[in-house]
This record gives sequence, C-alpha cells and structure tokens, in this order.
Amino acid sequence: MINPLLELKEVSYKNKNNFTLNKVSLQVKSGEKIALLGKSGAGKTTLISILNGTLKPNKGSVKLFNTEFDKLNLYQKSKISTIWQDLRLIEDLSAEQNVNCGLLGKQSFLFAFKNLLNISSFNKAHQYMQVCNLNKSIFSINIKKISGGQKQRVAIARSLIQESDILLADEPFNNLDPKLTSNIKNLLLITKNKNKIKIPKTTLISLHRLDLLDGFNRIIGMKNGEILFDLEKTKLKKYHLNKIY
Amino acid sequence: MNKLKLNSSSITFLPILVCIPIAYELFFNFHIGGIELFKEFIISALNPKINHEIIFILVKRLNETIFIAFFSWLISIIFGVIFGILSSEIFYKILNLPLFLKRFLNLFLTFIRSIHEIIWGLILMQIYGINFSIGIIAICIPYVAINAKVFSEQIENINLKTIESIKQINGIKSSTLITLVWSPVIETFKNFGLYRFECAIRSSAVLGLFGVGGIGTSIFLSFQTLNFRELWTYLWGLAFLIIISKEVLKKFNLSNTSKKFLTSFVIALFSISLFSLSFFIYFIFNKNAIPFNSINNLLISNFNFISYDFLKLLLETIFLCLLSTGIAISFPPIFILILNNKIGIKIIRIISFLFRLIPPPVLILILLMFNNPSISLAAITLGLHNAAITSKLLLANLDNQDNKQYIAMKSLGVGKRSSWLFGLFVKQANSYLAYCAYRSDIIIRETAILGVIGSIGLGWKLQESLSSFAWEEVIEILLAYSSIAIIGELINGKIKSNLT
Repeated sequence: MINPLLELKEVSYKNKNNFTLNKVSLQVKSGEKIALLGKSGAGKTTLISILNGTLKPNKGSVKLFNTEFDKLNLYQKSKISTIWQDLRLIEDLSAEQNVNCGLLGKQSFLFAFKNLLNISSFNKAHQYMQVCNLNKSIFSINIKKISGGQKQRVAIARSLIQESDILLADEPFNNLDPKLTSNIKNLLLITKNKNKIKIPKTTLISLHRLDLLDGFNRIIGMKNGEILFDLEKTKLKKYHLNKIY
Repeated sequence: MNKLKLNSSSITFLPILVCIPIAYELFFNFHIGGIELFKEFIISALNPKINHEIIFILVKRLNETIFIAFFSWLISIIFGVIFGILSSEIFYKILNLPLFLKRFLNLFLTFIRSIHEIIWGLILMQIYGINFSIGIIAICIPYVAINAKVFSEQIENINLKTIESIKQINGIKSSTLITLVWSPVIETFKNFGLYRFECAIRSSAVLGLFGVGGIGTSIFLSFQTLNFRELWTYLWGLAFLIIISKEVLKKFNLSNTSKKFLTSFVIALFSISLFSLSFFIYFIFNKNAIPFNSINNLLISNFNFISYDFLKLLLETIFLCLLSTGIAISFPPIFILILNNKIGIKIIRIISFLFRLIPPPVLILILLMFNNPSISLAAITLGLHNAAITSKLLLANLDNQDNKQYIAMKSLGVGKRSSWLFGLFVKQANSYLAYCAYRSDIIIRETAILGVIGSIGLGWKLQESLSSFAWEEVIEILLAYSSIAIIGELINGKIKSNLT
C-alpha cells in the first residue's frame, strides 16, 4: 500500500464561532491530480491553508510524509507549494524578483539579499516565467504595473520554481483568458514534461469552473466545511454536483 | 440653538484661541529697549557681510556642519533600520522569539527618543568636555530611536497574508525576514530617511549654538557680539546648505543605479555601521570622562521631587507645549485662508522659510530684544518655528491635491476663501491634524532648548543642574521630561489613530 503524502484526520477549524471545517478527513497520495469543488465559503481556502500548515486546526491532526506538521523541518515543509487565491505577491518588487522569492527555501541568505538588490541570477526565474507564458518585456517590471492575468502567472511561476512535490492551488485560473487557462491547466496537470522543468507530481486545485475538470483523476466536493463526496473523476455524476451547488 | 459640533476642519482653526493669553502676556511684557537693535537685525538680512575672510570662515564652518550632520544622519539611519526591525512584531513572529523582548526594547527606545538631542549634547559635553564627536553622538541617540519608530511602524504595515505566503516557502528565517522588510525599509528611506538629513543639518546647527562647532557656533558668537551682518552671512550660508542638500538628495535614486554601485553602496553602509559602532564603544570607554558624583548620590538625593518650584516648572513646560502646539496647528490654515492669492502664498512661503531657517534659540534671543522672558514668548517662538514646518507640509499637500471641487465651487459663484475652505482644505484637514499630532511630539522635546535659553520650565532647571554638576537633579529632571514626552506621545498616538 502506498503511504499518503498528506493526511488529514478528523480536522476541525473554528473561526469566530463558526466551523469553517468540520471533522474533515482526507488522504492525498503521490501522483494524484485532485480537483476541489464547492461554492464560495464552502471551506476550500481554509482546507488549503490547513494542508500547507498556514492554519493550525483546532481539532484533528495533519501529517505530511507521515510526520506531524509541527515536527517537520524546513526542507520537508518546502516540499509543498501554494498558489494563493489573492496571489500574495510582494509589491515594490519586480516580477522576476517575486518569482525568485520561490527559491528562498533552497538558497542562502546571501541569495535573498542579492535578489532584493536585483543583482542575483534570474535565469531560472526567466525559464519558469516563459513556461507560464509570460513575455520577456514584463520580467523586470514592478509587480504593481502589470495586469491581473500577468500577476496570476507570476504567482504560478513563483510556486512552480519551488520544485515542490505537492502543489496546492486556490482558484489559479482567475484573471486568465480561455487560451491561457488551458495552457496553465495543462502545465499544472502535466504528466510528461517537455519543458525540462520540474512540475509537482501531486496537485490539489480548487475550482469553480466545471468545464476544467478534464485531466484530473480525483474530485472532492465540499459544502459548509464538510467533504460531501470524494471519488474518482470517472465516477462523478450530475447529482454529486447538485449536492454541492 | 444648535449644539456646537466639532470636525477636523474646525479643530484646526480653534487652537488660535491660545493667542488671547499669549497676546495679553506679550503686551504687558513689551519694552522698547531693543527696538533699534531689532531694526538693525532686519536691515542686515538684506545686507549681509561679504568679504574674503568671512567667506573663508563660512565655508570652514559649513564643512564642519555637513560633517556632523552627514555622519549623524547616516549612522542614525543605519541603526534606525536595525532597531526598527528589532522593535517590530514581524521580527519576533518569524524568529519565534518572546514578545517581552520587543516591549523592553520599545520602552528603552521611547525613553531615549523622549529626550532632545540638545539635552543629550549638554549632558555629554559636561561629561566629556567640548568635543567634535559629541555633536554626532548627541544627534544620533534620539535620531536612532525616532528613525526606529518610523521604520518599525512601516514594517508593521506589511500585509499579514504576504507574511504567510513568504513564510510558507519555508526558506531560512533570515531570508524570509529580509525579503519581507526590504520594500517597506527602502520606501521609508526614500520618503522619510532622506528628509532626515535636513533635520540633521538643523540639529547640528542648533548644537553649534551650545559650542559643539560648525555654523551654529559662528551664529551664536556673532549674535553675542551683536554683529548682525555677519550673523546673516552665516544664516544665508545655512539656508544655501539646506537648499543644496535637498536638491542633491532629490536626485538620489536607489532603483536606477548600476549593480556595481549598489554592491559598493551596501559594502560602504556595512563598513560605516561597523566603524561607528566601534568608535562609539571606544569613545565611551577610552575618554577621560569627568566622573559622576557617584551612583550613590543618585540614591540619596536631596532633590525634592514634589517641591512647589519643581511642580511649577513642570506645569510651565506643559503650558508651553500646549500654547506652541496651538500656534503650530492654527497659524498655517488661517494665514493661507486670509492671504489666499498668489502673492499672499509667496509671502507665506518666504516667511515660513525664514522661521524654519533661524534656529529657535536665536529666534527667542531676537524676540527678547523687545520683550521680557515669559512662557508666552517661548511659546510664540516655538509655535512660529513649528508653524513654519507645518505650513510647508500643508502647502505641499494642497499643491498636489485635485482641485476639481474648488473649481466647481468657484464656478457656482462661491467666494475664493469659501471655495478654498470647502473645496480644498476640508479634504486635507484630517491628514494635516494627524501630522500636527506627530509634530506636537517634537514640540514637547523642543521645549527643553527654549527652557535653557529663555528661563522657562524644566529646561532652565536642567541648565542650572548641569552647570553645577548636580547629576542627581539632572537625572530627575530628565525623568520628568521623559514622562511628559511619553504621556504626550501616548495621547498623540491615540489622536493619530482616530484621525487616520
């Protein structure tokens, strides 16, 4: 039996007297491509924040590589990367400097300092930015001055450059046109890598658009902080979707 | 009759009421003994002394002032950034350190910030004698704490979500910290740090009045000999230095510099900080300090902390703060409202420049030519000097403001002054008051300088105690000053947070 990469057991998270997650149990195995569905406020973002360790559950346990989250070292923690719904890029830094921030987990303090002074190497950042369909002309532009779609792709490039094992993405296709959505989705769900860059083998992506479910092999549906269904993509029926929407 | 309702705009005008007691006291203390001298002083402004010898002294003195100002500015910025980071919550969150360390550091910084650089200068001069380094150290002590406060406030504004996202990358803690604080530090340096150089020039000039050296010493000596033409040569020289330094710093752009320059800049900053720290330690431990009367004296002090005289001086200091803050807040909007045309605004700009240029100790000595020493005289001096600073900010903000509403009101036939009041000033009132609240923190500290010169408040008592090496008294007065400043800072902090 394959050990799960990520495991949630009976996890509850209470926020201002309301349960945003209620006794959620979940196992994520290597190589899975999971789509997380649910209405706004269903608890998708909270679940992602618990999975990446940003939020600590009030009850239950979270394990990564079969180890409690609190006992993980920095190297182990850096094996999870996240694309946030609100992007969380650093304003006042350029697009390439923001992407380079994704390397902080693997580099020394000197690299961080050189990145801020704009004197570090950006070769790797450029490689990932190009894969994310970002044009060379915006590489050195301040993040405040680029469009919403470009910012979205900078955030994606920042999480991909981490070369993590697991990618958690919270509505990563916002602000993207249909062609870019398709390109980026293919990139995140890739199985054969043509670009010679490392793409996480395991992905969990929260979505609103049902037309984007192709390519995923597992679907999780959430409502009111609970998982209502967790099944293979091929077994998804219309009544499943009716339960959550 | 309707109830009186106060808003930000009306609150900026109401403090003008402080002029009633001030005018009353000034009127009864007026004398004509020095009117001729005053006339000579005014005429000399347009006829400064210019010859080979005085230009030589001017350049030499300006060099000394630049030297003191530049090094104190640079060191206080570097250590201001370091202490700013150390006193911000984000530092303790990222490094998982206990928060009581932050509170302890903040308390320490608040104490050293609450005492004006002139007082630090006077104390250090009494301990170490007159020395060039005193100027740099005296300015650095409160400036480091002031800069640390501003940098830490900006660092605290970092979005919590950005902190989470960078922490989630799980880099080493120092990399995470520097990545997060870099942008606010650089932005604060550009918006606030560069302006502090002008403050450092003014402070080194004022310290010069007390004998540290530089242009201030020449200004004071020429004033003592009533050589007003020479005095104005030095004052115009100082004005020239301030204008030039501002223009040079405006051109300083960190983002458009080459990589080589940036690397050397960082190395230079690092070397200066190491050098200054080692120099400071050498200075403290290797100079022949005049010994304290001994620590025991502080514990068995005879100084009566709650004596009538001491309480009177304390109250005088608080009154002085209130009166001068009233002037600093209300004068700029009232004068801009009255003289609301191009020529009027130009006159306001010129007069406020002069009041900023002439150091408050010199200004009070000029006013003493035709008035006896009193709280009102000190208040009008400090008030006018600070009103000159608040008016500069108000005019700059009004210039940058969108004037569509003003034009719309004028097109409806509303008078020029009413259009200015409702179309322009109303939008500025909140931020102007918030800045005035910050300014009043500085006014509290500045009362010390005028006290020393103008026989008012705790400053006068401090001067006496310092001259007689009564260190126990000095410490008690410093504690009293510090308490006033800290309470004032807390009240102003509340006002600022309500306004913004």
